[in-house]
Amino acid sequence: MKKNKAEILERLLFSCADWIHGKGPFSDVVISSRIRLARNLENIPFPARANHLELQKISNLLNKGFQENIVFKRFNQLFLHQLSSIEMRFLMEKNIISSYYLNTDHAHRFCIFNPEETLSIMVNEEDHIRIQSFSSGLQLKKIWKKIDDVDNEIEKKVTYAFNEKQGYLTTCPTNVGTGMRASVMLYLPALVMQNKIGDILKALSKLGYAVRGFYGEGSKAMGNLFQVSNQITLGFSEDEIIESLIKLCSKMITQEKKARKYLFNSDMEEIEDRTWRSYGILKNARIISSVEAMELLSRLRFGVELGIMSEIKRSCLNQLMFLIQPAYLQLLFGKKLNENERDFQRAAIIREKI
Amino acid sequence: MLCQICKSREAELILNSTINGIKSEFHICKECAALFEHQLSSLALPQFNLNDLLIGLLSALDFYEKEGSIPVYRKMICTNCQLSYEEFQKTGKLGCSQCYQFFIEKLKPILIKLQGNHQHSGKIPHNMINANNMRKEISKLKKELDNAVQKEEYEKAARLRDEIIKYERINKVR
Repeated sequence: MKKNKAEILERLLFSCADWIHGKGPFSDVVISSRIRLARNLENIPFPARANHLELQKISNLLNKGFQENIVFKRFNQLFLHQLSSIEMRFLMEKNIISSYYLNTDHAHRFCIFNPEETLSIMVNEEDHIRIQSFSSGLQLKKIWKKIDDVDNEIEKKVTYAFNEKQGYLTTCPTNVGTGMRASVMLYLPALVMQNKIGDILKALSKLGYAVRGFYGEGSKAMGNLFQVSNQITLGFSEDEIIESLIKLCSKMITQEKKARKYLFNSDMEEIEDRTWRSYGILKNARIISSVEAMELLSRLRFGVELGIMSEIKRSCLNQLMFLIQPAYLQLLFGKKLNENERDFQRAAIIREKI
Repeated sequence: MLCQICKSREAELILNSTINGIKSEFHICKECAALFEHQLSSLALPQFNLNDLLIGLLSALDFYEKEGSIPVYRKMICTNCQLSYEEFQKTGKLGCSQCYQFFIEKLKPILIKLQGNHQHSGKIPHNMINANNMRKEISKLKKELDNAVQKEEYEKAARLRDEIIKYERINKVR
């Protein structure tokens, strides 16, 4: 396992997660799919209630298990106590760790992740173990297979907190059962433009799905991106949960594509104008906030997906969504930047990339 | 609530705005929201947090309990991690795997409300798969297989068949 912090961060700064290429199924509407599993060890208090010795015990036990298992040999490992707050935020922006993890005490906590940046494991997050995996487009089944395998590997060394009635036991009863949260990041500009999105979001929450913004729980919708995930974790099998989420997403994909086709035929000039205007600003701006950048990148993406602008690749837009984040910018420039400096550097990076 | 812009239609969306550092919230209808058109994508989503929902549920259920019994279970404590039920009500977070046994009578109605269910039917850790629940699993899979065949979902049926063979093999070895 690789453990050199400087080396790992340096590589992360210039690498792209494997799913950013944007070539998965239905990538014109689905940015990414993600699954995360929550697992705990038997009898030892959950992280928020465990004392230092107990946290250390869990951390050591799992660390030993990872070190000895050939499956994790290629993985990178970072301990939270080694990291500055900007470095931690950077890992969050890269989707390697969660925002919850940022706000925990740092002792006895570490994460490991594969070089492709598609699978990561956090130790002593809200639960003892959190495994998450990403892929491009709509590929939940493939991710589940991968996560299921990793889960089996970890289980070889530990006894999970489980009972036949409630399944996998978790800190929060909203995760109990499968401990699985599957989510899909959808790009729905046409449904937003047609004002259909409000009804759809309302229907989704009635059907037992949560909708969140780009940054996950508690975040706002930005750049026409919506993250849809299952709320129910108990009473259905993992396959059933995934299957129904796929069905739901397929319906939304169809709706979005219909709306795009309609707009393409009816409002062509307007969309063309919006695309090129966005391009103009992004290509020339000297100062740009992340909110404005996300919005303009979203408009530009619409033009790219509709074939109005062929010079720009989807992968470039996916990459930019991450490059323009605050911690990313600061690590890239190797120093702390205030908001104005960030807005300036952000504009420079965007100009360079598109 | 009526829309704060047209004051005639029912408000369906909440618009959060921050102007000069002052945060304000507008309840507006879809029609008025359309006026903001290109800004709609940055509208706030219904701020939905599962944990808040849970905490709300916990206090709501408390309200329906008979008065005399409330103090008794509030003082219930998990002997493994010392978490009291009262603390769980406040945070919505349990302390350890054994809390699920200690508070099960209280948790059941919450799980039903929250999850619509209180019986796990997903993955089982390998070291928990004993002969008993293996048989259960096999019969469940066989039912699913019949179902799939009837619906002519042959791809699913093939997957289920493989799964059943796998389980039956493990069962024999044991």
